[in-house]
Amino acid sequence: MGRYLLKRILFFIPTLLIISLLAFIISLQAPGDPLDRMVSAQENGGEFQAQSANTQKEKDRWRKKLGLDLPVFYFSFSNAATPDTLYRIYDDNLRNASKRLINTYGNWEQISDWQKSLNILKNSLFEINALHAAAVDSSFSNADRDTIIEMDRLVSALLLAYDTRLIEIKLHQLQATCSAHNYFSPASTSLAGTLNAWNNVKSQSTPGKKYIPAIHFYGYNQYHRWIFGDGNWLTGKGAVDCKGWLRGDFGYSYETKLPVGNVLAERVRWSLFFTLISVTLAYLISLPIGIKAAAKKDSLFDRTSSVVLFVLYSMPAFWVATLLLMSFANPLAMDIFPSSGIQPVTGIPEGTSWIEAVRMRLPYLVLPTIAYTYSQLAFLSRITRVSTLEIISQDYIRTARAKGLSEGTVIYKHAFRNALLPIITVFSNIFPLAIGGSVILETIFTIPGMGQQVFHAIVSKDYPVIITVFTLTGVLTLIGYLIADILYAIADPRISYANK
Amino acid sequence: MTKEKNDKGFNFGAYAFRQFRRNKPAYISLYILGFLALMALLAPVIANERPLFISYKGHHLYPALSFKKNYILTNDDGTKETIQLDIADWKQMKADKVVWAPIPYAPEKTDMLNAGYKGPHDAQLFKNSDGQIINMPSRFRHVMGTNSLGEDVASGLIHGARVSLTIGFIAMAIASVLGLILGSMAGYFGDSRLRTSRGQFWMVVLGIIAGWFYGFQTRQFNLQDALSTGTGKLIMQLLLSISIAIAVTVIFALIGRFLGKLPFLNKQVNIPVDSIVSRTIEIFHSMPTFILILTIAAIARPSMTNVMIIIGFTSWTGIARLTRAELLRIRQLEYIQAARALGFGELKIILRHALPNGIAPALVSIAFGIASAVLIESSLSFLGIGVPSDVVTWGSLVNDGRQQYSAWWLVVFPGVAIFLTVTVYNLIGEGLRDALDPKHKK
Repeated sequence: MGRYLLKRILFFIPTLLIISLLAFIISLQAPGDPLDRMVSAQENGGEFQAQSANTQKEKDRWRKKLGLDLPVFYFSFSNAATPDTLYRIYDDNLRNASKRLINTYGNWEQISDWQKSLNILKNSLFEINALHAAAVDSSFSNADRDTIIEMDRLVSALLLAYDTRLIEIKLHQLQATCSAHNYFSPASTSLAGTLNAWNNVKSQSTPGKKYIPAIHFYGYNQYHRWIFGDGNWLTGKGAVDCKGWLRGDFGYSYETKLPVGNVLAERVRWSLFFTLISVTLAYLISLPIGIKAAAKKDSLFDRTSSVVLFVLYSMPAFWVATLLLMSFANPLAMDIFPSSGIQPVTGIPEGTSWIEAVRMRLPYLVLPTIAYTYSQLAFLSRITRVSTLEIISQDYIRTARAKGLSEGTVIYKHAFRNALLPIITVFSNIFPLAIGGSVILETIFTIPGMGQQVFHAIVSKDYPVIITVFTLTGVLTLIGYLIADILYAIADPRISYANK
Repeated sequence: MTKEKNDKGFNFGAYAFRQFRRNKPAYISLYILGFLALMALLAPVIANERPLFISYKGHHLYPALSFKKNYILTNDDGTKETIQLDIADWKQMKADKVVWAPIPYAPEKTDMLNAGYKGPHDAQLFKNSDGQIINMPSRFRHVMGTNSLGEDVASGLIHGARVSLTIGFIAMAIASVLGLILGSMAGYFGDSRLRTSRGQFWMVVLGIIAGWFYGFQTRQFNLQDALSTGTGKLIMQLLLSISIAIAVTVIFALIGRFLGKLPFLNKQVNIPVDSIVSRTIEIFHSMPTFILILTIAAIARPSMTNVMIIIGFTSWTGIARLTRAELLRIRQLEYIQAARALGFGELKIILRHALPNGIAPALVSIAFGIASAVLIESSLSFLGIGVPSDVVTWGSLVNDGRQQYSAWWLVVFPGVAIFLTVTVYNLIGEGLRDALDPKHKK
């Protein structure tokens, strides 16, 4: 038994690894820049600095806090022309432009020189502007100021440009404007530097290098940080911003800017409550139905229950839930139950006894519980019936009957235990089903559980929450499997013996 | 010998079909499914804003069947008139003769006069060709009511059949191809039957990586640009990338065949196909599928294609597991050994001899799979995740009804449609299971 369990647990490690990798890859594909979500947009007041220094500082702080200044994974597979430090370019557009230029020219050294020269040019433009702004100069008109701003925009655009023709046109424009106005003379050296750098990029190109595959390794990276935190990976000592997934730190929600763990911890209560209640109810109701139907095969009970369960099984959960609300929580039809929430809007007053509190909540719980239970119920009864039928047709049951045992003893003592096996296997499927289903049901019944949080996160594009729920559900599923395995081993001694 | 006998006297396919026919619910379901498919196929003719035929100022036009964007008509007095098909107000036109579709509304077309949840029996309004607002003539009634925007529910129902059936079908087609290929390879080859030389094995592994590198990595910007240009260009570039990748892999494999003759590299190694596939199935099986689908759908651009691909890629495991089990059994049988002894290629044996005999359980699983794909799709569109918001589906109609409980027609009709489709597939699945199981004889 012990060895069997150990083997099962060991198998979970690659599964967890793959689930975490999948979650990580999905989170990388999430559109939009997380920093933009974290740093509330501030007014873009400065003419020359598109973002105010304050926003920039805040962004840098969050970048470090979220670990976005790190390489993505333990290794990157690219070509010989791409440097292993490309991840240090934080701006997505600039990084994209660099990648494209590398793809065309294959000489990162010259390309980075070109980008540096553009920044130098930008600085000298800034100085020219500052010079004229300080000295109130009648010869410097608003039109001239506009020209400088225009030039600055041009240089910024050049930084992000990667199309050769576009770059040359823009460079030409830059040159023409500079030579037309003599107040640009202080920038002439940096302009010459820029032109020179561009010529170098073109003349010293090595486009062939992109066909040579290369692999770069990184020790400390975003994935590692996400899983193990930024401290010691084993002990977690020295962690500053992130303790790591393994230690229950799931990152920050974009929406509330709070740790995801806190957001979900408040929510998980209700989901668990409904899942456990409904699973218990479903098992309690479905086992007798399934067994009875199988024991009296082709009887009236068997046929009616089969049809009813089949119908229930084919009905989508969201439809049943909507129908329930429409018929029992609708002022136009039967207004028996409240239509949303899990307690009166006014809340439960303090000092109410728990019996009173339960009584106040009960009407709110009836419809969700029915909706949660019914789909599992249909599924479980059908499986119970099929597996009991299979057992009943076996020889040892015939022997038991031939011995003259009562039908009850035959069914409940001899058949039941073996019929349980498939039902136990299903147990592991119920967790992910329940959590997946809770997204729909909690949204319909407005239950403040994890499912509703997931729906909310999807609508508001709060990716860290979605990813966390996905990985957590994966872990829960695995735990469900483990429990099922243990139960299975208990119900079927052959399993644990075979592995001894 | 048994096979020959089978060919002459006994045809299992015909036998299974006879068995299937005796199962009345399943057999009727087949007809209902056919009816649904026909409805989906003919949706633009059954429910359309544009008339099937209109005789307008002497011109004979067939707007519902036309793929044109505009009609440019030259009238008798020489003036030109342009009718833009998608925005023209056909019901206001002074036509000499007009034949409407049975349901004269398109699913996404809003009927302002009847907006705000008009029921099937509520008073509905109509603007006739003279511009007067009159009571709804029975020909133009919204027979199943409208939603808040005044979209016709009946039309949405018929066009929604298109979405549901296509998604169920294509998603399961993807899943079946994946499941059958992986399952039959795992079952047939097991862990020890696929043998190759060490040199060949490693060269193929390298070749796949190199193929990906030259086909996709170095061409990533060509593909990116093509993606933003248009579908046609993207397909061209993708085909080019795939052929480069295959060519590179083949070159590596050829080198590998040569290297496999050298000492040390010529040692034979087993490729544990079964272990690899089984582990993959187990991993996929322990993944929370619905949450995975939700996660991906939330991040990817909303589109029908994405939904199909996501459902397809997450639901192949059942088919693979069943196919694997069947082929594991079949490969031990004498006729397969005879085929091997005759020197048939492995691929031929799998496709011609092993798979046809082992496909039955997978067929059952596919039928159930389509039912659950339809359920997943309708749940997704009910939540409004992954499915474009402008497409009317059964799930989105029920969601409309959730906003207003008095509008029972928005909940009942589409819900019954989903229920019917799912039931039909489930019944067919059950019928297939019973018919294909020789032990179960009626």
